Amino acid sequence: MVRKSKGRQKIEMVKMKNENNLQVTFSKRRTGLFKKASELCTLCGAEIVVIVFSPGKKVFSFGHPNVDCVIDRFANINPPNPRQHTDIQLSEARRNAIVQDLNNHLTQVTEEFEIEKKRTEDLKQKRKNSHMRENWWEEPIEELNLSQLTEFKCGLEKLRKTVTTEACKNFQAIVPRHNFYGGSSNNSTFGICDDHTDNIDTDLDLYNHQRMVATNTFACNQHNMMVPYHITSPFGNIANSNIIEGFAPEYNQNPNQFCFKQEQMSECDQHSAHPPRFGHGYY
Amino acid sequence: MTRQKVKMAFIENESSRKATYKKRKRGILKKANELATLCGVPVGVIIDSPYDLTPEVWPSREDMDNVLSQLQRLPVMDRTKKMLNQESYLKQSISKASETCKKLTKENKELEMKEVMFDCLSGKTSPSRIEKNDLGGCGNVIEQYLRNLNRRIEILSKNDGASSSSVHVVASTSVAMPIVELGSSSTAFCDMIRQQQIQSNMNQNVGGLDLNQQQW
Repeated sequence: MVRKSKGRQKIEMVKMKNENNLQVTFSKRRTGLFKKASELCTLCGAEIVVIVFSPGKKVFSFGHPNVDCVIDRFANINPPNPRQHTDIQLSEARRNAIVQDLNNHLTQVTEEFEIEKKRTEDLKQKRKNSHMRENWWEEPIEELNLSQLTEFKCGLEKLRKTVTTEACKNFQAIVPRHNFYGGSSNNSTFGICDDHTDNIDTDLDLYNHQRMVATNTFACNQHNMMVPYHITSPFGNIANSNIIEGFAPEYNQNPNQFCFKQEQMSECDQHSAHPPRFGHGYY
Repeated sequence: MTRQKVKMAFIENESSRKATYKKRKRGILKKANELATLCGVPVGVIIDSPYDLTPEVWPSREDMDNVLSQLQRLPVMDRTKKMLNQESYLKQSISKASETCKKLTKENKELEMKEVMFDCLSGKTSPSRIEKNDLGGCGNVIEQYLRNLNRRIEILSKNDGASSSSVHVVASTSVAMPIVELGSSSTAFCDMIRQQQIQSNMNQNVGGLDLNQQQW
C-alpha cells in the first residue's frame, strides 16, 4: 500500500520557514486552539479569552462569556456592580442554556458526519471487492478503448431511456392521465409514455394538477428535472427545452415555489373553464 | 488504552471537573505556546476559574498588556470582525460541519447511484426496481457518465483517426443486435456484449472488438 503522506511527524519548535506552510499551520492551529478553549468553558465553566494575531496582522479572538468582559476584569476597569448581580446571573443562565443546546447540536452533526464517512468507506470497499472485474465497462473510462467506449455509450443511452420511462410512470401514477394541454390525441405530455388517453377533463383545473405535481417524485428532484430532457420519443425528437418549459415553466424558474403558487391564485384563475395556460397542441 | 468520548457538557462531578480543568488548562497554554512559536505571532491567553486564586495569564502580564494595547490600537471594525464567544463560535462550527456533512452525503449518494447504474447494466437489477426517489439521482449519474464518455470518445477520435473504420464495424454490429423494448432493457447491455463476443468469435475478422484480450 502506497502511503499518501508521511503521517504525524515531530516538528521543531521554531518559527516555520515556509511561508505557505506557516499560513496553513496558523489557520489550523488557531482553529484547534479555539476549539480547546470552547471545550474548557463548556466542561469546566471557566472564563477565558484567547487573542491571536495572524501573520497578516489580522486579529482573531475568542472569549467566554465574551472577550471584552474578561479583558475588563483583567484590567480591573469595571468592578461588577452588586446590583447587577442577579441580572448577570440570569443572563448567564440563559446563555448557558443556549450554549448547551448548541453543543448538543454540534455533537449531533459531528456524529452524522462520522456515519457518512463510514458509509463512504463501505461503498468504496464494496466497489473494490465487487465483480472481480468481470465487467469491463466498470473500469475507469481512461482505460477503455474507443470501440468499448462507443458500445458503452450505446448501452448507457438505452438505460437512460428506461430510467426516464420509469420516472415518467411515477409521475403519471400520481397525476391523472389527462392530456391537460388539450392537445390532439397523438400528443402526450412527454411523448414517450404510451399509455395516454385523450380525455380532457375540463372540470379538473390546471391548478389541481399543480398541487398534485408538487407531491410527486419531481418535487424530490428539484435540481434535476431530468425526465424529459434529451429523449427521443417514438413521436420524434422533442426539442430539448420545449417539454420542460411547456410543462410547468414556473417550476423551472424556481422549483421551491411549488407550495407558494397555490396561495397566490386568484378566484378567477380557479375557474375550470379557464383554458390551460400552456397552450394546446403544444407538440 | 482507547480514549473514551467526552460528553460536551458541564462536568457535574466536582473533583472530576477540577482535574479536567487543570489538565486542559495546561494543554491550552501549551498549544498557545506552539502557535506563537511556530508562526511567530503575538498570542495572549487569560483563563480564570473558581479553582484559581488569580487568573492565569499567558505569556506573562507584561506580554498580555502588549497584546491588549496592540488590540486597542486597531479600529473597532477590525477588532470585532473576528471576535467570537461561545455562542457565535459554536454556530460557526455547526454550519461548517453541516456543510461538510451535506457534501459527503451527496457524494455518497452519487457513489450509490453509480452502483445501481452498474447493476442495471450487468442485469443484477432493472430500472423498474429502483426506488422512486432515486430515479432522478440515477439519471443524473448516467448523464454525467455519458458526458465523460463522450468527452473521452472525442479525445480518442481526434488522436486516432486511423481506427475510425473499426468504430464503424462496432457501430454496425451494435445496431444489428436485437433492440430490446424499453420495458425490459435492463439485461440488454450485458447480453448485448455477450452476443457480440459470440459473434466476434464466429467472425474471424474482428475489427476493434477484442473484448477478451483487452482487459486482463
